[in-house]
Amino acid sequence: MNRQELLQTLRDRFPDEILGVFEKSPKRVYIQIQPDAIVRLAQYLFKEMRARFNIASGVDGRNQMEILYHFTVEEMNLIISLRVILPKTKLEIASLTSVFTAAQWIEREIYELLGINFVGHPKLKRLLLPEDWPEGVHPLRKDYQEWDPTAIRDRGV
Amino acid sequence: MGILDDAFLKSLWVFHLATGSCNNCDIEILDCLTPRHDIERFGMLLTGSIKHADVLLVTGAVNRQCIPRIKRIYEQMPQPRLVVAIGECALSRGVFIHSYNCPLPLDHVIPVDVYIPGCPPRPEAIIAGLIKLIEQRKTQTGQAKV
Amino acid sequence: MIYLLYLFIFGFLLTGIIGLFASWIDRKLTARIQYRVGPPLLQPLNDILKLLGKETLIPFGAAQYTFLAAPLIGLVSVIVVSTVLWVNNMNPQQTFVGDLIVVVYLLLVPSLSVIIGGFASGNPLASLGASREMKLILSYELPFILAILVPVIQSDLSIRLGNIMMTQAQNGIIAFSWSGGLALIIAVLCMQAKLALVPFDMPEAETEIAHGVLIEYSGTLLAVYRLTKHMLLFALPFFIIMLYLGGVRGNGLHLLYGTLEYVGLVALVSVIRNTNPRLRMDQVMRFFWGPMTILATIALLLALGGY
Repeated sequence: MNRQELLQTLRDRFPDEILGVFEKSPKRVYIQIQPDAIVRLAQYLFKEMRARFNIASGVDGRNQMEILYHFTVEEMNLIISLRVILPKTKLEIASLTSVFTAAQWIEREIYELLGINFVGHPKLKRLLLPEDWPEGVHPLRKDYQEWDPTAIRDRGV
Repeated sequence: MGILDDAFLKSLWVFHLATGSCNNCDIEILDCLTPRHDIERFGMLLTGSIKHADVLLVTGAVNRQCIPRIKRIYEQMPQPRLVVAIGECALSRGVFIHSYNCPLPLDHVIPVDVYIPGCPPRPEAIIAGLIKLIEQRKTQTGQAKV
Repeated sequence: MIYLLYLFIFGFLLTGIIGLFASWIDRKLTARIQYRVGPPLLQPLNDILKLLGKETLIPFGAAQYTFLAAPLIGLVSVIVVSTVLWVNNMNPQQTFVGDLIVVVYLLLVPSLSVIIGGFASGNPLASLGASREMKLILSYELPFILAILVPVIQSDLSIRLGNIMMTQAQNGIIAFSWSGGLALIIAVLCMQAKLALVPFDMPEAETEIAHGVLIEYSGTLLAVYRLTKHMLLFALPFFIIMLYLGGVRGNGLHLLYGTLEYVGLVALVSVIRNTNPRLRMDQVMRFFWGPMTILATIALLLALGGY
């Protein structure tokens, strides 16, 4: 099975969930999907296509937030990135831990750094930030303000 | 006493502490112990325990989590003790100066004696910095006890 | 009164100076084998003087008096055993029956002091190092004592060190016989384990368990431990020279031979140290209770047979 057949199979299988396909290079494909279809698509890619879940990355755009889920299909040398766009008024998405447990830690990290809530995650608490970090302050957002009065931000020269 | 000060400067034992660095400076410090740039000819050894050490070599931009731990390690060093900051991240946090997790530069956490700039500094620069530390300490104890 | 003078001059001063020199030989040879320049001649002395000038920190959860007394036990026993060895070497008739047993017993006490110091530190890493040292002692003591029995048998079952040396003066050096040579090899390997050097240095593994046993020691106590180790680097090869190579006689060419033998043993220890990796605990026990004990038994049987 090569790349074109894989994409055609995906388009036939999920006609209304896939909003668009962008082929960036011979090795990478970006597929934009609806937010509530992520679990079904991830299950299809992981179980039937035997793709490997690499990582998820969260981006803070100007008017919306997006999450990219990267899957690798090794027989074809292909990386499929599923793109999900979330409006800033409702930052929630279903968690992928029901499909594979490898998503636990990366979803915790996206939650603590960007503030996106993952519904159905077994233990959603902070992973990397120190214990005395205040709740509700998410550092990688574009509107993050310095909350620490004792921080020194000039070079002293 | 003169003889103990002389013996102190001729056999400095170093302890290496990495606080959230990219590990380039750590590799360069490790290079100093290899046969090409050998610091054992000055009597400097790498120790495994902080209680045996005289010089604390610090690399890396100081994380929020590392600040209480650096203070605890500095307090566990027996006197007389010296601190050397290696690399740009340890001097002033370098490019991470506006990062959300690096609030303070190193010399606001523990007192630093010698700064060695570079990203990463060459082993020759590290050795030159350590020699400057010895020279500075000689003139200091010549004038007044610090 | 003369014994106090012997203790101080021979046991402490001369042993200390020769031990520091032997430690320098070890470090310089290590540096040369690794193709680099090593430390200057007075480096071990500078290390000990520097450590005398550092402050001593006693951890909060440590047993205080045991923590302070443990290094001194090791130092005192090394001073006493060095005095016995020196006096034996100078005039072999002046000693008492059974001083071989006393020497073997006293050579064990520095390891015991390291164990006591490790357990008194209150640190789990120190306890780990101390338990490893205990297992190391259990493994190498058996072949060591079997190897020591070979010169005893060859000198008509006398446990007096002076008698062993006089037998060698009359009948020839024990190391040139079959059983003696085998016993010498076993004794050198057991000496490596007693000094806790690579490949047997897991009690004091430097980067594995952050200096193991000595992790909480600093300042004067650490200086005492290091001085004990340097003096042991003098006492053990000297003991082996007296047992297997006839001691160091003081006239002319024999003094040169003795010095060469001593430096050769220290260099052998250093070369073994540099060409081997560190062994695990179960490998060490299997090594000492397997091949080494079998070889020692063979040497013992050869000695009983007269070879």
